[in-house]
Amino acid sequence: MMKSVLQRVYLTLILILLYAPIVTLMILSFNKSKSRSKWGGFTTRWYVELFRNDQIMNALYTTLIIALLSALIATVIGTAAAIGIQALRNRFRTFMMGVTNIPMLNADIVTGISLMLLFIAFRFSLGFSTILLAHITFNIPYVILSVTPKLKQTNKSTYEAALDLGASPVHAFFKVVFPDILPGVSSGFLLAFTMSLDDFIITHFTKGPGVDTLSTKIYSEVRKGIKPEMYALSTIMFVTVLLLLILVNISPEEKQGRRREPVKLQRRHKLSRLLFRKIVPVMMAVVVIVGGVFYGSRADNGGNNQVIVYNWGEYLDPDAIAMFEEETGIDVVYEEFETNEIMYPKIQSGAIAYDVVCPSDYMIQRMIENNLLAEIDFSNIPNIKEIGDTYMEMSRQFDPDNKYSVPYTWGTVGILYNKTMVDEPIDSWSVLWDEKYKDNILMQDSVRDAFGITLKYLGYSLNSTDLDELEAAKKLLIEQKPLVQAYVIDQVRDKMIGNEAAIGVIYSGEAIYTQWENPDLQYVIPKEGSNVWVDSWVIPKNAKHKENAETFINFLCRPDIAKMNFDYITYSTPNVGGRALIEDESLRNNPIAFPPAKDLDRCETFRFLGDENDAIYNELWREVKSK
Amino acid sequence: MSNKLIDIVNVSKSFGDNLVLDDLNLYIRENEFLTLLGPSGCGKTTLLRIIGGFETPDTGKVIFDGKDITDLAPNKRQLNTVFQKYALFTNMTIAENIAFGLKIKGKTKSYINDKIRYALKLVNLEGFEDRTPDSLSGGQQQRIAIARAIVNEPKVLLLDEPLGALDLKLRQDMQYELIRLKNELGITFVYVTHDQEEALTMSDTIVVMNQGYIQQIGTPEDIYNEPKNAFVADFIGESNILPATMVQDKLVKILGASFPCVDVGFGRNRPVDAVIRPEDIDLVKPEDGIIEGVVTHLIFKGVHYEMEVTANNFEWLVHSTDMVEVGTEVGIQVNPFDIQIMKKPESEDAEAVTIEE
Repeated sequence: MMKSVLQRVYLTLILILLYAPIVTLMILSFNKSKSRSKWGGFTTRWYVELFRNDQIMNALYTTLIIALLSALIATVIGTAAAIGIQALRNRFRTFMMGVTNIPMLNADIVTGISLMLLFIAFRFSLGFSTILLAHITFNIPYVILSVTPKLKQTNKSTYEAALDLGASPVHAFFKVVFPDILPGVSSGFLLAFTMSLDDFIITHFTKGPGVDTLSTKIYSEVRKGIKPEMYALSTIMFVTVLLLLILVNISPEEKQGRRREPVKLQRRHKLSRLLFRKIVPVMMAVVVIVGGVFYGSRADNGGNNQVIVYNWGEYLDPDAIAMFEEETGIDVVYEEFETNEIMYPKIQSGAIAYDVVCPSDYMIQRMIENNLLAEIDFSNIPNIKEIGDTYMEMSRQFDPDNKYSVPYTWGTVGILYNKTMVDEPIDSWSVLWDEKYKDNILMQDSVRDAFGITLKYLGYSLNSTDLDELEAAKKLLIEQKPLVQAYVIDQVRDKMIGNEAAIGVIYSGEAIYTQWENPDLQYVIPKEGSNVWVDSWVIPKNAKHKENAETFINFLCRPDIAKMNFDYITYSTPNVGGRALIEDESLRNNPIAFPPAKDLDRCETFRFLGDENDAIYNELWREVKSK
Repeated sequence: MSNKLIDIVNVSKSFGDNLVLDDLNLYIRENEFLTLLGPSGCGKTTLLRIIGGFETPDTGKVIFDGKDITDLAPNKRQLNTVFQKYALFTNMTIAENIAFGLKIKGKTKSYINDKIRYALKLVNLEGFEDRTPDSLSGGQQQRIAIARAIVNEPKVLLLDEPLGALDLKLRQDMQYELIRLKNELGITFVYVTHDQEEALTMSDTIVVMNQGYIQQIGTPEDIYNEPKNAFVADFIGESNILPATMVQDKLVKILGASFPCVDVGFGRNRPVDAVIRPEDIDLVKPEDGIIEGVVTHLIFKGVHYEMEVTANNFEWLVHSTDMVEVGTEVGIQVNPFDIQIMKKPESEDAEAVTIEE
């Protein structure tokens, strides 16, 4: 009795652990309030918005087409391979099975990177077709794995019997062998479909600009904070995969059960026959045709007159892109990245010929040093005059002759504090080491930011490579550890809005938004100075549409467009004309967005310090984190 | 018996290093029930598969009805096979199974339906049209497999140990069934088995094979009564195989004792093997026998008693309907025509090997 109670409790506990996260997600997808911690009532609004979102629907189409095509092709190839392997002699068969199994056990990231390298080596341009090829590749082993056991069960002589009765080998295969292995083939197909639907890592490495599957779309969307539409989308994906898995598991059962309950299972057999012979093919045909038409039409109006833009996630108003396309007739292929470090290897590899990219200061310096950027023809960018001289001067720190970059946004790093939770006005980094605020401090979980702040506090340059200075900074950071509530990146914003901490290190662009949400918050650039950063547009050397890229940059420098983007992303604009158009005076002269020049005096931009110094920073940061 | 239907000429086949058939020659006559008999691995199934077209010989030819069919695909041959494990199509009904070959040949629906009914009647399974193979017993499945093959009216039916998976009683029933079928259909049967009793019961001709060679071809009586070598003697039925010396024509010295026999032409004082079937030994009073011995074992076998008699340091196997108690002293007597003299094997290959059943 006791034992069975314990068993049940244990089982319940495991189920809760496994499914609590997903249930939370599902519930939140129906939450009227955008907050993650407040229930605002039931709504299906996020689902409706989801289906209205063109980008997500595009991604959904791509996902389905890739999943279907790759599963279909992998099923054909995999089944043929399984038959071939089965016909091999024992020793070779074991060897071949091993060889085909390894890719399944291999880490996705290794598969992804190797596929990317292969595509680049063979000068495939990354895009829809490379995702498809990659998915076919990783799906084949799953098909082989699920077909092989069925083939082993199959009585070899039924095939020979069919030949004996006059059937041609092809006829014999489809009439006799195929029905026997069909459960294996269809579960292989469904498994492949599910795998393809699920995959993020491999897709991430093999995709090109303008193509997104749901998983890569979700990933790039969550960079700026998770929108409730994403909960809805994730819920739909989970339910879909769940249904598919149930289907996969039903089909192999069928055969075993048939002996026990012939009549009932006969019916079930018919059902699955109907499913696999009618519904699945029709579904596939519809999606492929619709998708084909969809892609066809897109390819048509795309043509060659395009510009491939590679930008941070949510860093440009989509309406501005629409305006640009309408005004110039140039088609914008828009692709997003999450960090400079992800963007850099893509440009360096040359796999995708991006036309215009928006990296940060130190990364621009690195790209210039590695000869990856083209000189911009400023005669094509008359609107450059709208960019304030201060910012052009600021740019010289990483682009000494102002030849390669046009500033797009800029900002500072500072302290965000809650006026109701601190006693005195804050003006120094020293509060981050103040015992009073133990467990009320949020630090940036990134090596350059953490060291930059500390070096500045110590009065050094934030680009210091002096080992003694760095050692001192490290000591200070270790000292600070017990006081820190958490090392985070994006959560600073949400935690500060939710009054969860008194002090946080934050980027100025985020600070404006937090103030709108919670008026008690105050942003300050400490008197010791801080980091000032600039994100600028550059044109990679291998760009195929350089003139279009310059047209695009010129368009973004137009004051009305600069203002539009400022409204959208709330990061400070270097565009003087654009700033003048901001109607709200308090915003136009907002000290956070546009701090007075004296505050910027002691600020520096990050510079690329070289690979060796990067390694030293990382090692010191590791020591801090592991203490 | 009429002319040759299938002629197998100088056929060799090996799998890897393993030589399965070595330069084999054999012909099969029309309307014959020919059995390939031998232990596992003797090459009988390979030979059948070569005739069926599922294997291609490394060298040699297969002539069918005057035409070379060595390289002809199985689906183009005018013969059908009944497989060891029935090989019914589990995704089809019995009727669909039987109709399979006919549909491919493009026969009309009514022709096919007639044929299905006829075939099911022939194998005594009327009314089974809509059943699935899974719902049938082993014997029923085998009969369906035969029905499926014969509706195509092949000139030759190849049967690969078709009764191997059935129990004894069913096997015996099926043996009579097959003989009946063969007589009704008037087609040639090529039958593979390792069961000598099955071979003796059904065949017109038995081909005894071992290690890729044909050991003996003959009628069941020939094979049983006059095995050509120790392997055949040992494999077919039970026998006493004794080392002997042929003293002269019609006189053989076995274990030091002289036995009169009927064989001639072996020369003088040549070493030979003598085969004596256990049921051909008469146990008589010690003084009346050629050799004296003592009964050491006795087992009741139903139809007869099986005894072992030790005489001249050899254990003689004796079958008799009369019981003799263990310990009794007896004499051994054999009729001259019941002694079969065989030459000593000349090569390794012709020698008897361990027989796996």
